[in-house]
Amino acid sequence: MTYSRSPLDTRIEIVTPENIAFQYRVAGPFTRLPAYLIDLTLRIVGVLLVGLVGVFGFGVAGVPGMGFGLLAVVGFVTEWFYGGLFEALWNGQTPGKRLLRLRVLTAEGQPINAWQAVLRNFLRGVDALPWMCYQVGLISAASNDRFQRLGDLAAGTMVVIEQRALRVEVVGIQQREALELAAQLPPGLIVSRSLARALSAYVTRRQTFSWRRRIEIALHLAEPLRLSLGLPPQTDPDQLLCAVYHHAFIADRLSEPPPLRRQPEQLVVA
Amino acid sequence: MKVIELLVSRRDNWRELEMLCQQWDAPLAQRPGAERVTRFAYLYRAACADLALADAYHLPPATVEYLHQLVGRAHNQMYRGRGFDFAAWLPEMLGALPRRLLHDNSLRLAFVIFWGMFIATGLLAYFSPAVADRVLGKDMVTGMEHMYDKPIEGRDADESTAMAGFYTYNNPGIGLQCFAYGLLLGIGGLFITISNAAILGAVFGHMAAVPQSANFFHFVTAHGPFELSAVVLASGAGMRLGFSIVDTHGWRRGASLRRAARDAVPSICASIVLFALAALIEAFVSPSALPYWSKAAVAIVSTLLMLFFLLALGHSRRTDLATG
Repeated sequence: MTYSRSPLDTRIEIVTPENIAFQYRVAGPFTRLPAYLIDLTLRIVGVLLVGLVGVFGFGVAGVPGMGFGLLAVVGFVTEWFYGGLFEALWNGQTPGKRLLRLRVLTAEGQPINAWQAVLRNFLRGVDALPWMCYQVGLISAASNDRFQRLGDLAAGTMVVIEQRALRVEVVGIQQREALELAAQLPPGLIVSRSLARALSAYVTRRQTFSWRRRIEIALHLAEPLRLSLGLPPQTDPDQLLCAVYHHAFIADRLSEPPPLRRQPEQLVVA
Repeated sequence: MKVIELLVSRRDNWRELEMLCQQWDAPLAQRPGAERVTRFAYLYRAACADLALADAYHLPPATVEYLHQLVGRAHNQMYRGRGFDFAAWLPEMLGALPRRLLHDNSLRLAFVIFWGMFIATGLLAYFSPAVADRVLGKDMVTGMEHMYDKPIEGRDADESTAMAGFYTYNNPGIGLQCFAYGLLLGIGGLFITISNAAILGAVFGHMAAVPQSANFFHFVTAHGPFELSAVVLASGAGMRLGFSIVDTHGWRRGASLRRAARDAVPSICASIVLFALAALIEAFVSPSALPYWSKAAVAIVSTLLMLFFLLALGHSRRTDLATG
Protein backbone atom coordinates (compact mmCIF):
# COMPACT_ATOMS: atom_id res chain seq x y z
CA MET A 1 0.00 0.00 0.00
CA THR A 2 1.31 3.41 -0.87
CA TYR A 3 0.81 6.50 1.21
CA SER A 4 0.57 10.01 -0.12
CA ARG A 5 3.44 12.18 1.06
CA SER A 6 1.29 15.28 1.22
CA PRO A 7 0.03 16.10 4.71
CA LEU A 8 -3.54 15.33 5.72
CA ASP A 9 -4.83 18.87 5.38
CA THR A 10 -7.40 21.10 3.68
CA ARG A 11 -4.78 22.43 1.27
CA ILE A 12 -4.82 21.65 -2.42
CA GLU A 13 -1.71 22.22 -4.48
CA ILE A 14 -2.16 23.76 -7.91
CA VAL A 15 0.52 23.79 -10.60
CA THR A 16 0.01 26.78 -12.91
CA PRO A 17 1.11 27.38 -16.50
CA GLU A 18 3.94 29.48 -15.02
CA ASN A 19 5.21 26.17 -13.62
CA ILE A 20 4.79 27.31 -10.07
CA ALA A 21 3.02 25.29 -7.41
CA PHE A 22 0.90 27.17 -4.93
CA GLN A 23 -1.64 26.09 -2.39
CA TYR A 24 -5.32 26.85 -1.85
CA ARG A 25 -7.28 26.24 1.30
CA VAL A 26 -10.44 24.36 0.44
CA ALA A 27 -13.59 25.64 2.14
CA GLY A 28 -15.48 23.03 4.15
CA PRO A 29 -19.24 22.77 4.61
CA PHE A 30 -19.29 24.91 7.74
CA THR A 31 -17.29 27.71 6.11
CA ARG A 32 -19.72 27.69 3.23
CA LEU A 33 -22.87 27.60 5.35
CA PRO A 34 -22.71 31.30 6.43
CA ALA A 35 -22.16 32.36 2.81
CA TYR A 36 -25.18 30.28 1.82
CA LEU A 37 -27.26 31.89 4.57
CA ILE A 38 -26.24 35.40 3.43
CA ASP A 39 -27.20 34.54 -0.15
CA LEU A 40 -30.49 33.07 1.04
CA THR A 41 -31.28 36.23 3.00
CA LEU A 42 -30.41 38.44 0.02
CA ARG A 43 -32.63 36.34 -2.23
CA ILE A 44 -35.57 36.52 0.16
CA VAL A 45 -35.14 40.28 0.69
CA GLY A 46 -34.87 40.84 -3.06
CA VAL A 47 -38.00 38.86 -3.83
CA LEU A 48 -39.89 40.61 -1.03
CA LEU A 49 -38.83 44.03 -2.32
CA VAL A 50 -39.87 43.21 -5.89
CA GLY A 51 -43.09 41.79 -4.50
CA LEU A 52 -43.89 44.89 -2.45
CA VAL A 53 -43.02 47.34 -5.21
CA GLY A 54 -44.58 45.23 -7.96
CA VAL A 55 -47.83 44.30 -6.31
CA PHE A 56 -48.44 47.79 -4.86
CA GLY A 57 -47.25 49.60 -7.97
CA PHE A 58 -49.29 47.54 -10.40
CA GLY A 59 -52.14 47.39 -7.88
CA VAL A 60 -52.37 51.19 -7.86
CA ALA A 61 -52.28 51.10 -11.66
CA GLY A 62 -55.25 48.73 -11.57
CA VAL A 63 -53.45 45.60 -12.80
CA PRO A 64 -52.46 43.65 -9.64
CA GLY A 65 -52.09 40.45 -11.64
CA MET A 66 -49.13 41.96 -13.51
CA GLY A 67 -47.36 42.57 -10.21
CA PHE A 68 -48.02 39.01 -9.07
CA GLY A 69 -46.79 37.60 -12.37
CA LEU A 70 -43.60 39.69 -12.14
CA LEU A 71 -43.06 38.50 -8.56
CA ALA A 72 -43.43 34.85 -9.57
CA VAL A 73 -40.99 35.20 -12.49
CA VAL A 74 -38.45 36.99 -10.28
CA GLY A 75 -38.96 34.26 -7.68
CA PHE A 76 -38.21 31.59 -10.27
CA VAL A 77 -35.10 33.35 -11.57
CA THR A 78 -33.65 33.98 -8.09
CA GLU A 79 -34.40 30.46 -6.92
CA TRP A 80 -32.69 28.66 -9.80
CA PHE A 81 -30.32 31.16 -11.44
CA TYR A 82 -29.05 33.36 -8.59
CA GLY A 83 -25.95 31.27 -7.92
CA GLY A 84 -25.32 30.37 -11.54
CA LEU A 85 -25.54 33.95 -12.82
CA PHE A 86 -23.38 35.47 -10.10
CA GLU A 87 -20.75 32.75 -10.20
CA ALA A 88 -20.50 33.03 -13.98
CA LEU A 89 -20.34 36.84 -14.06
CA TRP A 90 -18.36 37.48 -10.86
CA ASN A 91 -15.59 34.97 -11.55
CA GLY A 92 -16.89 32.29 -9.19
CA GLN A 93 -18.38 34.41 -6.42
CA THR A 94 -21.88 35.18 -5.19
CA PRO A 95 -22.42 38.18 -2.87
CA GLY A 96 -22.28 35.86 0.15
CA LYS A 97 -19.11 34.16 -1.05
CA ARG A 98 -17.60 37.56 -1.80
CA LEU A 99 -18.25 38.82 1.71
CA LEU A 100 -16.69 35.72 3.23
CA ARG A 101 -13.85 35.56 0.70
CA LEU A 102 -14.80 32.26 -0.88
CA ARG A 103 -14.49 31.47 -4.56
CA VAL A 104 -15.61 28.62 -6.77
CA LEU A 105 -12.85 27.18 -8.94
CA THR A 106 -12.57 24.04 -11.01
CA ALA A 107 -11.15 21.02 -9.20
CA GLU A 108 -7.85 21.78 -11.00
CA GLY A 109 -7.79 25.35 -9.65
CA GLN A 110 -8.78 27.16 -12.84
CA PRO A 111 -11.62 29.71 -13.06
CA ILE A 112 -15.01 28.16 -13.78
CA ASN A 113 -17.01 28.73 -16.94
CA ALA A 114 -20.71 29.51 -17.25
CA TRP A 115 -22.03 25.99 -17.69
CA GLN A 116 -20.20 24.80 -14.59
CA ALA A 117 -21.65 27.68 -12.58
CA VAL A 118 -25.17 26.95 -13.82
CA LEU A 119 -24.91 23.20 -13.36
CA ARG A 120 -23.60 23.19 -9.81
CA ASN A 121 -26.54 25.36 -8.79
CA PHE A 122 -29.14 23.35 -10.71
CA LEU A 123 -28.05 20.26 -8.82
CA ARG A 124 -28.39 22.00 -5.45
CA GLY A 125 -31.83 20.38 -5.14
CA VAL A 126 -30.39 16.92 -4.68
CA ASP A 127 -27.66 18.07 -2.27
CA ALA A 128 -30.31 19.80 -0.17
CA LEU A 129 -32.09 16.48 0.48
CA PRO A 130 -33.79 15.72 2.76
CA TRP A 131 -36.04 18.77 3.27
CA MET A 132 -33.36 21.45 2.65
CA CYS A 133 -31.13 19.99 5.40
CA TYR A 134 -28.19 19.37 3.00
CA GLN A 135 -27.44 15.91 4.43
CA VAL A 136 -26.68 14.42 1.00
CA GLY A 137 -24.32 17.30 0.27
CA LEU A 138 -22.68 16.93 3.68
CA ILE A 139 -22.07 13.20 3.19
CA SER A 140 -20.71 13.83 -0.30
CA ALA A 141 -18.43 16.64 0.97
CA ALA A 142 -17.16 14.45 3.80
CA SER A 143 -16.15 11.65 1.46
CA ASN A 144 -13.69 13.48 -0.80
CA ASP A 145 -10.64 15.65 -0.17
CA ARG A 146 -12.03 18.82 -1.75
CA PHE A 147 -15.35 19.02 0.15
CA GLN A 148 -17.28 18.70 -3.09
CA ARG A 149 -21.03 18.24 -2.84
CA LEU A 150 -22.73 16.25 -5.60
CA GLY A 151 -23.25 19.38 -7.69
CA ASP A 152 -19.55 20.16 -7.38
CA LEU A 153 -18.60 16.61 -8.37
CA ALA A 154 -20.77 16.72 -11.48
CA ALA A 155 -19.54 20.17 -12.52
CA GLY A 156 -15.92 19.45 -11.52
CA THR A 157 -15.69 22.43 -9.16
CA MET A 158 -14.56 23.18 -5.61
CA VAL A 159 -14.82 26.15 -3.25
CA VAL A 160 -11.61 27.73 -1.89
CA ILE A 161 -10.86 30.36 0.72
CA GLU A 162 -9.11 33.50 -0.51
CA GLN A 163 -7.63 35.25 2.48
CA ARG A 164 -6.55 38.83 2.69
CA ALA A 165 -3.11 40.07 3.59
CA LEU A 166 -1.34 38.27 6.37
CA ARG A 167 1.66 39.64 8.27
CA VAL A 168 4.66 39.87 6.00
CA GLU A 169 7.25 41.51 8.20
CA VAL A 170 10.05 39.89 10.08
CA VAL A 171 9.68 40.22 13.84
CA GLY A 172 12.28 42.67 15.12
CA ILE A 173 14.31 41.58 18.14
CA GLN A 174 14.71 44.33 20.73
CA GLN A 175 15.89 42.54 23.89
CA ARG A 176 19.46 43.52 24.72
CA GLU A 177 20.42 40.02 25.94
CA ALA A 178 19.33 38.47 22.65
CA LEU A 179 21.22 41.06 20.59
CA GLU A 180 24.35 40.59 22.70
CA LEU A 181 24.00 36.85 22.33
CA ALA A 182 23.56 37.23 18.57
CA ALA A 183 26.83 39.16 18.40
CA GLN A 184 28.61 36.22 20.05
CA LEU A 185 27.36 33.71 17.48
CA PRO A 186 30.00 32.51 15.01
CA PRO A 187 29.67 34.62 11.84
CA GLY A 188 29.74 31.58 9.57
CA LEU A 189 26.78 29.89 11.26
CA ILE A 190 24.50 28.58 8.52
CA VAL A 191 20.93 28.02 9.56
CA SER A 192 19.25 25.14 7.75
CA ARG A 193 15.81 25.58 6.20
CA SER A 194 13.97 23.45 8.73
CA LEU A 195 15.69 25.27 11.60
CA ALA A 196 14.74 28.61 10.04
CA ARG A 197 11.13 27.50 9.81
CA ALA A 198 11.10 26.36 13.43
CA LEU A 199 12.74 29.58 14.66
CA SER A 200 10.32 31.75 12.75
CA ALA A 201 7.31 29.78 14.03
CA TYR A 202 8.60 30.15 17.58
CA VAL A 203 9.55 33.84 17.51
CA THR A 204 6.35 35.01 15.82
CA ARG A 205 4.31 33.29 18.52
CA ARG A 206 6.41 33.67 21.65
CA GLN A 207 4.77 36.98 22.60
CA THR A 208 1.58 35.14 23.46
CA PHE A 209 3.27 32.70 25.87
CA SER A 210 4.10 33.18 29.53
CA TRP A 211 7.73 33.18 30.60
CA ARG A 212 7.61 29.60 31.94
CA ARG A 213 5.89 28.31 28.79
CA ARG A 214 8.54 29.97 26.60
CA ILE A 215 11.32 28.21 28.48
CA GLU A 216 9.51 24.91 28.30
CA ILE A 217 9.00 25.12 24.53
CA ALA A 218 12.34 26.73 23.65
CA LEU A 219 14.38 24.22 25.62
CA HIS A 220 13.83 21.40 23.10
CA LEU A 221 15.60 23.35 20.38
CA ALA A 222 17.84 25.60 22.49
CA GLU A 223 19.59 22.81 24.35
CA PRO A 224 21.12 21.04 21.31
CA LEU A 225 21.88 24.46 19.80
CA ARG A 226 23.68 25.59 22.96
CA LEU A 227 25.73 22.40 23.06
CA SER A 228 26.79 22.60 19.43
CA LEU A 229 27.64 26.30 19.76
CA GLY A 230 29.55 25.72 22.99
CA LEU A 231 27.68 28.36 25.00
CA PRO A 232 27.58 28.32 28.83
CA PRO A 233 24.78 26.30 30.48
CA GLN A 234 23.12 29.34 32.09
CA THR A 235 22.17 30.77 28.65
CA ASP A 236 18.47 31.65 28.54
CA PRO A 237 16.87 29.25 25.98
CA ASP A 238 14.28 31.84 24.90
CA GLN A 239 16.94 34.50 24.31
CA LEU A 240 19.15 32.02 22.49
CA LEU A 241 16.42 31.22 19.97
CA CYS A 242 15.77 34.95 19.50
CA ALA A 243 19.47 35.50 18.90
CA VAL A 244 19.74 32.75 16.28
CA TYR A 245 16.56 34.09 14.68
CA HIS A 246 18.07 37.58 14.54
CA HIS A 247 21.20 36.12 13.01
CA ALA A 248 19.27 34.12 10.41
CA PHE A 249 16.62 36.62 9.33
CA ILE A 250 17.96 40.07 10.06
CA ALA A 251 21.75 40.03 10.37
CA ASP A 252 22.71 37.10 8.20
CA ARG A 253 23.94 37.83 4.72
CA LEU A 254 22.94 35.21 2.18
CA SER A 255 25.90 36.06 -0.04
CA GLU A 256 25.15 33.26 -2.44
CA PRO A 257 21.90 31.39 -2.94
CA PRO A 258 21.91 28.10 -1.05
CA PRO A 259 22.19 24.92 -3.13
CA LEU A 260 18.86 23.75 -4.50
CA ARG A 261 19.21 20.11 -3.49
CA ARG A 262 17.55 19.14 -0.27
CA GLN A 263 19.70 19.80 2.76
CA PRO A 264 19.98 17.33 5.61
CA GLU A 265 17.43 18.12 8.27
CA GLN A 266 19.91 19.03 10.95
CA LEU A 267 21.86 21.97 12.21
CA VAL A 268 24.88 22.78 10.10
CA VAL A 269 27.67 24.54 11.90
CA ALA A 270 30.44 25.67 9.66
CA MET B 1 21.18 39.86 0.82
CA LYS B 2 19.63 39.83 4.26
CA VAL B 3 16.18 38.31 4.51
CA ILE B 4 14.84 41.58 5.83
CA GLU B 5 16.32 43.56 2.94
CA LEU B 6 14.83 41.08 0.52
CA LEU B 7 11.43 41.47 2.13
CA VAL B 8 11.63 45.24 2.04
CA SER B 9 12.61 45.26 -1.62
CA ARG B 10 9.78 42.91 -2.61
CA ARG B 11 7.07 44.25 -0.37
CA ASP B 12 6.06 47.15 -2.61
CA ASN B 13 5.67 44.79 -5.58
CA TRP B 14 3.47 42.45 -3.58
CA ARG B 15 1.34 45.30 -2.27
CA GLU B 16 0.91 46.67 -5.79
CA LEU B 17 -0.13 43.27 -7.09
CA GLU B 18 -2.58 42.93 -4.23
CA MET B 19 -4.06 46.34 -5.04
CA LEU B 20 -4.48 45.43 -8.71
CA CYS B 21 -6.19 42.16 -7.78
CA GLN B 22 -8.55 44.03 -5.51
CA GLN B 23 -9.36 46.68 -8.13
CA TRP B 24 -10.08 44.19 -10.89
CA ASP B 25 -12.13 41.95 -8.65
CA ALA B 26 -14.65 44.73 -7.94
CA PRO B 27 -18.06 43.85 -9.44
CA LEU B 28 -18.23 46.79 -11.84
CA ALA B 29 -14.52 47.12 -12.59
CA GLN B 30 -13.58 48.56 -15.96
CA ARG B 31 -11.42 46.60 -18.32
CA PRO B 32 -7.83 47.54 -17.55
CA GLY B 33 -5.67 49.06 -20.28
CA ALA B 34 -2.82 47.24 -21.97
CA GLU B 35 -0.19 49.05 -19.89
CA ARG B 36 -1.71 47.92 -16.58
CA VAL B 37 -2.16 44.37 -17.84
CA THR B 38 1.52 44.23 -18.74
CA ARG B 39 2.42 45.61 -15.33
CA PHE B 40 0.13 43.04 -13.69
CA ALA B 41 1.73 40.20 -15.65
CA TYR B 42 5.19 41.40 -14.62
CA LEU B 43 4.23 41.60 -10.95
CA TYR B 44 2.51 38.22 -11.11
CA ARG B 45 5.56 36.53 -12.61
CA ALA B 46 7.78 38.20 -10.02
CA ALA B 47 5.55 36.96 -7.19
CA CYS B 48 5.61 33.46 -8.72
CA ALA B 49 9.40 33.55 -8.78
CA ASP B 50 9.52 34.75 -5.17
CA LEU B 51 7.27 31.91 -4.12
CA ALA B 52 9.34 29.38 -6.03
CA LEU B 53 12.50 30.58 -4.26
CA ALA B 54 10.84 31.21 -0.88
CA ASP B 55 12.50 28.20 0.64
CA ALA B 56 15.91 29.10 -0.70
CA TYR B 57 15.50 32.71 0.47
CA HIS B 58 14.63 31.51 4.00
CA LEU B 59 11.41 33.52 3.93
CA PRO B 60 9.44 33.20 7.19
CA PRO B 61 6.46 30.79 7.06
CA ALA B 62 3.93 33.62 7.46
CA THR B 63 5.38 35.29 4.36
CA VAL B 64 5.30 32.03 2.41
CA GLU B 65 1.67 31.62 3.42
CA TYR B 66 0.99 35.18 2.26
CA LEU B 67 2.68 34.48 -1.07
CA HIS B 68 0.57 31.37 -1.63
CA GLN B 69 -2.54 33.48 -1.10
CA LEU B 70 -1.27 36.31 -3.27
CA VAL B 71 -0.26 34.10 -6.18
CA GLY B 72 -3.61 32.29 -5.90
CA ARG B 73 -5.55 35.54 -6.07
CA ALA B 74 -3.49 36.90 -8.94
CA HIS B 75 -3.89 33.59 -10.77
CA ASN B 76 -7.68 33.90 -10.48
CA GLN B 77 -7.56 37.39 -11.98
CA MET B 78 -5.08 36.41 -14.70
CA TYR B 79 -7.16 33.47 -15.95
CA ARG B 80 -10.55 34.75 -14.91
CA GLY B 81 -13.86 33.19 -15.94
CA ARG B 82 -15.31 34.46 -19.18
CA GLY B 83 -18.94 34.81 -18.10
CA PHE B 84 -21.65 33.87 -20.56
CA ASP B 85 -20.38 33.33 -24.08
CA PHE B 86 -23.71 33.59 -25.89
CA ALA B 87 -22.11 33.33 -29.32
CA ALA B 88 -21.00 29.81 -28.46
CA TRP B 89 -24.34 28.82 -26.95
CA LEU B 90 -26.42 29.25 -30.10
CA PRO B 91 -24.66 26.60 -32.22
CA GLU B 92 -24.62 24.40 -29.12
CA MET B 93 -28.39 24.67 -28.60
CA LEU B 94 -29.39 24.43 -32.29
CA GLY B 95 -26.65 22.13 -33.57
CA ALA B 96 -24.99 19.88 -31.06
CA LEU B 97 -28.00 19.51 -28.76
CA PRO B 98 -30.54 18.04 -31.24
CA ARG B 99 -27.83 15.79 -32.70
CA ARG B 100 -27.11 14.46 -29.24
CA LEU B 101 -30.75 14.10 -28.22
CA LEU B 102 -31.61 12.11 -31.34
CA HIS B 103 -29.15 9.39 -30.31
CA ASP B 104 -29.61 9.71 -26.55
CA ASN B 105 -30.56 6.38 -24.97
CA SER B 106 -31.47 8.06 -21.68
CA LEU B 107 -33.99 10.28 -23.44
CA ARG B 108 -35.48 7.25 -25.21
CA LEU B 109 -35.75 5.44 -21.90
CA ALA B 110 -37.35 8.45 -20.19
CA PHE B 111 -39.77 8.76 -23.14
CA VAL B 112 -40.80 5.09 -23.00
CA ILE B 113 -41.12 5.02 -19.21
CA PHE B 114 -43.04 8.29 -19.03
CA TRP B 115 -45.51 7.58 -21.80
CA GLY B 116 -45.83 3.88 -20.89
CA MET B 117 -46.70 4.74 -17.32
CA PHE B 118 -48.90 7.65 -18.42
CA ILE B 119 -50.96 5.50 -20.79
CA ALA B 120 -51.16 2.55 -18.37
CA THR B 121 -52.39 4.68 -15.45
CA GLY B 122 -54.64 6.65 -17.81
CA LEU B 123 -56.39 3.49 -19.02
CA LEU B 124 -56.75 2.15 -15.48
CA ALA B 125 -58.16 5.45 -14.22
CA TYR B 126 -60.52 5.69 -17.20
CA PHE B 127 -62.12 2.34 -16.53
CA SER B 128 -62.03 2.38 -12.72
CA PRO B 129 -62.74 5.54 -10.69
CA ALA B 130 -61.06 3.96 -7.65
CA VAL B 131 -57.63 4.21 -9.31
CA ALA B 132 -57.70 8.00 -9.48
CA ASP B 133 -58.78 8.14 -5.84
CA ARG B 134 -55.87 5.89 -4.85
CA VAL B 135 -53.24 7.72 -6.90
CA LEU B 136 -54.34 11.32 -6.41
CA GLY B 137 -56.37 11.25 -3.20
CA LYS B 138 -60.08 11.92 -2.82
CA ASP B 139 -59.71 15.68 -2.19
CA MET B 140 -57.67 16.36 -5.29
CA VAL B 141 -60.10 14.41 -7.48
CA THR B 142 -63.16 16.33 -6.27
CA GLY B 143 -61.21 19.60 -6.45
CA MET B 144 -60.27 18.90 -10.04
CA GLU B 145 -63.80 17.94 -11.06
CA HIS B 146 -65.04 21.13 -9.48
CA MET B 147 -62.40 23.18 -11.32
CA TYR B 148 -63.71 22.11 -14.76
CA ASP B 149 -67.42 22.38 -13.91
CA LYS B 150 -67.80 25.57 -15.91
CA PRO B 151 -66.98 25.76 -19.62
CA ILE B 152 -63.79 27.63 -20.58
CA GLU B 153 -64.87 31.14 -21.48
CA GLY B 154 -61.75 33.19 -21.10
CA ARG B 155 -60.45 35.39 -18.33
CA ASP B 156 -59.10 38.91 -18.32
CA ALA B 157 -55.56 39.68 -19.40
CA ASP B 158 -54.42 40.76 -15.95
CA GLU B 159 -55.31 37.46 -14.33
CA SER B 160 -53.61 35.65 -17.21
CA THR B 161 -50.41 37.57 -16.58
CA ALA B 162 -50.49 36.53 -12.94
CA MET B 163 -51.01 32.89 -13.93
CA ALA B 164 -48.19 33.07 -16.51
CA GLY B 165 -45.87 34.07 -13.68
CA PHE B 166 -47.16 31.30 -11.46
CA TYR B 167 -46.68 28.63 -14.14
CA THR B 168 -43.19 29.94 -14.89
CA TYR B 169 -42.33 29.65 -11.21
CA ASN B 170 -43.91 26.28 -10.58
CA ASN B 171 -43.40 24.07 -13.63
CA PRO B 172 -39.69 24.42 -14.45
CA GLY B 173 -39.08 23.82 -10.74
CA ILE B 174 -40.63 20.36 -11.13
CA GLY B 175 -38.51 19.75 -14.23
CA LEU B 176 -35.31 20.81 -12.47
CA GLN B 177 -36.23 18.53 -9.58
CA CYS B 178 -36.58 15.61 -12.04
CA PHE B 179 -33.16 16.52 -13.41
CA ALA B 180 -31.41 16.81 -10.04
CA TYR B 181 -32.88 13.59 -8.64
CA GLY B 182 -31.56 11.75 -11.68
CA LEU B 183 -28.12 12.16 -10.15
CA LEU B 184 -29.01 9.54 -7.52
CA LEU B 185 -27.65 6.71 -9.72
CA GLY B 186 -30.62 7.12 -12.06
CA ILE B 187 -32.91 5.50 -9.49
CA GLY B 188 -34.10 8.86 -8.17
CA GLY B 189 -34.79 9.94 -11.76
CA LEU B 190 -36.71 6.73 -12.52
CA PHE B 191 -38.75 7.14 -9.35
CA ILE B 192 -39.71 10.74 -9.98
CA THR B 193 -40.46 10.12 -13.68
CA ILE B 194 -42.71 7.18 -12.85
CA SER B 195 -44.52 9.08 -10.10
CA ASN B 196 -45.06 12.16 -12.28
CA ALA B 197 -46.31 9.98 -15.16
CA ALA B 198 -48.67 8.08 -12.84
CA ILE B 199 -50.13 11.28 -11.41
CA LEU B 200 -50.59 12.91 -14.82
CA GLY B 201 -51.95 9.66 -16.31
CA ALA B 202 -54.48 9.32 -13.52
CA VAL B 203 -55.59 12.92 -14.01
CA PHE B 204 -56.06 12.51 -17.77
CA GLY B 205 -57.72 9.06 -17.49
CA HIS B 206 -60.11 10.14 -14.78
CA MET B 207 -61.05 13.46 -16.36
CA ALA B 208 -61.71 11.72 -19.69
CA ALA B 209 -64.32 9.55 -17.99
CA VAL B 210 -66.24 12.22 -16.06
CA PRO B 211 -68.84 14.65 -17.53
CA GLN B 212 -66.43 17.56 -17.31
CA SER B 213 -64.09 15.95 -19.88
CA ALA B 214 -64.91 18.41 -22.67
CA ASN B 215 -63.95 21.39 -20.49
CA PHE B 216 -60.80 19.61 -19.28
CA PHE B 217 -59.46 18.86 -22.75
CA HIS B 218 -60.47 22.32 -23.91
CA PHE B 219 -58.03 23.62 -21.30
CA VAL B 220 -55.08 21.21 -21.47
CA THR B 221 -54.78 20.52 -25.21
CA ALA B 222 -52.93 23.66 -26.25
CA HIS B 223 -50.03 23.57 -23.77
CA GLY B 224 -49.90 19.78 -23.26
CA PRO B 225 -47.25 18.90 -25.89
CA PHE B 226 -44.68 21.47 -24.71
CA GLU B 227 -45.21 20.77 -21.02
CA LEU B 228 -45.15 16.96 -21.17
CA SER B 229 -42.16 16.98 -23.55
CA ALA B 230 -40.33 19.32 -21.18
CA VAL B 231 -40.86 16.86 -18.30
CA VAL B 232 -39.57 13.97 -20.44
CA LEU B 233 -36.56 16.01 -21.57
CA ALA B 234 -35.66 16.99 -17.99
CA SER B 235 -36.03 13.41 -16.74
CA GLY B 236 -33.92 12.12 -19.60
CA ALA B 237 -31.16 14.64 -18.83
CA GLY B 238 -31.23 13.61 -15.17
CA MET B 239 -31.06 9.90 -15.99
CA ARG B 240 -28.12 10.56 -18.25
CA LEU B 241 -26.27 11.92 -15.21
CA GLY B 242 -27.26 9.01 -12.99
CA PHE B 243 -26.49 6.25 -15.48
CA SER B 244 -23.11 7.76 -16.34
CA ILE B 245 -22.00 6.84 -12.81
CA VAL B 246 -23.13 3.23 -13.27
CA ASP B 247 -22.06 2.61 -16.88
CA THR B 248 -18.85 4.56 -17.30
CA HIS B 249 -17.80 3.44 -20.83
CA GLY B 250 -14.36 2.74 -19.42
CA TRP B 251 -13.86 6.13 -17.81
CA ARG B 252 -13.38 6.72 -14.12
CA ARG B 253 -16.70 7.33 -12.40
CA GLY B 254 -16.01 10.99 -11.60
CA ALA B 255 -14.79 11.76 -15.13
CA SER B 256 -17.73 9.91 -16.65
CA LEU B 257 -20.14 11.95 -14.52
CA ARG B 258 -18.47 15.22 -15.52
CA ARG B 259 -18.66 14.32 -19.23
CA ALA B 260 -22.34 13.49 -18.98
CA ALA B 261 -23.02 16.61 -16.90
CA ARG B 262 -21.41 18.82 -19.55
CA ASP B 263 -23.82 17.40 -22.13
CA ALA B 264 -26.83 17.54 -19.81
CA VAL B 265 -26.71 21.32 -19.30
CA PRO B 266 -27.99 22.24 -22.82
CA SER B 267 -30.72 19.59 -22.44
CA ILE B 268 -31.98 21.03 -19.18
CA CYS B 269 -31.80 24.56 -20.59
CA ALA B 270 -33.92 23.45 -23.56
CA SER B 271 -36.35 21.90 -21.11
CA ILE B 272 -36.66 25.21 -19.25
CA VAL B 273 -37.34 26.99 -22.55
CA LEU B 274 -40.11 24.48 -23.32
CA PHE B 275 -41.57 25.00 -19.84
CA ALA B 276 -41.56 28.77 -20.35
CA LEU B 277 -43.32 28.42 -23.73
CA ALA B 278 -45.85 26.06 -22.16
CA ALA B 279 -46.44 28.57 -19.33
CA LEU B 280 -47.20 31.34 -21.82
CA ILE B 281 -49.62 29.16 -23.76
CA GLU B 282 -51.19 27.84 -20.57
CA ALA B 283 -51.78 31.34 -19.28
CA PHE B 284 -52.95 33.13 -22.41
CA VAL B 285 -54.26 30.55 -24.92
CA SER B 286 -55.59 27.65 -22.84
CA PRO B 287 -58.11 29.57 -20.69
CA SER B 288 -59.32 31.74 -23.58
CA ALA B 289 -62.72 31.26 -25.25
CA LEU B 290 -61.15 30.33 -28.61
CA PRO B 291 -62.82 27.37 -30.34
CA TYR B 292 -61.37 23.91 -29.70
CA TRP B 293 -59.93 23.49 -33.19
CA SER B 294 -57.64 26.51 -32.72
CA LYS B 295 -56.26 25.03 -29.52
CA ALA B 296 -55.73 21.71 -31.27
CA ALA B 297 -53.88 23.64 -33.98
CA VAL B 298 -51.56 25.16 -31.36
CA ALA B 299 -50.86 21.65 -30.05
CA ILE B 300 -50.13 20.31 -33.53
CA VAL B 301 -47.87 23.22 -34.46
CA SER B 302 -45.92 22.90 -31.22
CA THR B 303 -45.50 19.16 -31.74
CA LEU B 304 -44.30 19.73 -35.32
CA LEU B 305 -41.84 22.37 -34.09
CA MET B 306 -40.32 19.95 -31.61
CA LEU B 307 -40.15 17.19 -34.22
CA PHE B 308 -38.42 19.59 -36.58
CA PHE B 309 -35.92 20.49 -33.86
CA LEU B 310 -35.17 16.87 -33.04
CA LEU B 311 -35.30 15.23 -36.46
CA ALA B 312 -34.34 17.92 -38.98
CA LEU B 313 -31.71 19.68 -36.90
CA GLY B 314 -30.59 16.47 -35.23
CA HIS B 315 -30.22 14.41 -38.38
CA SER B 316 -26.68 15.06 -39.36
CA ARG B 317 -23.70 12.91 -40.22
CA ARG B 318 -21.61 14.53 -37.56
CA THR B 319 -21.83 12.76 -34.24
CA ASP B 320 -20.30 14.41 -31.21
CA LEU B 321 -21.67 12.09 -28.59
CA ALA B 322 -19.88 12.03 -25.30
CA THR B 323 -21.88 9.19 -23.79
CA GLY B 324 -24.04 6.66 -25.56
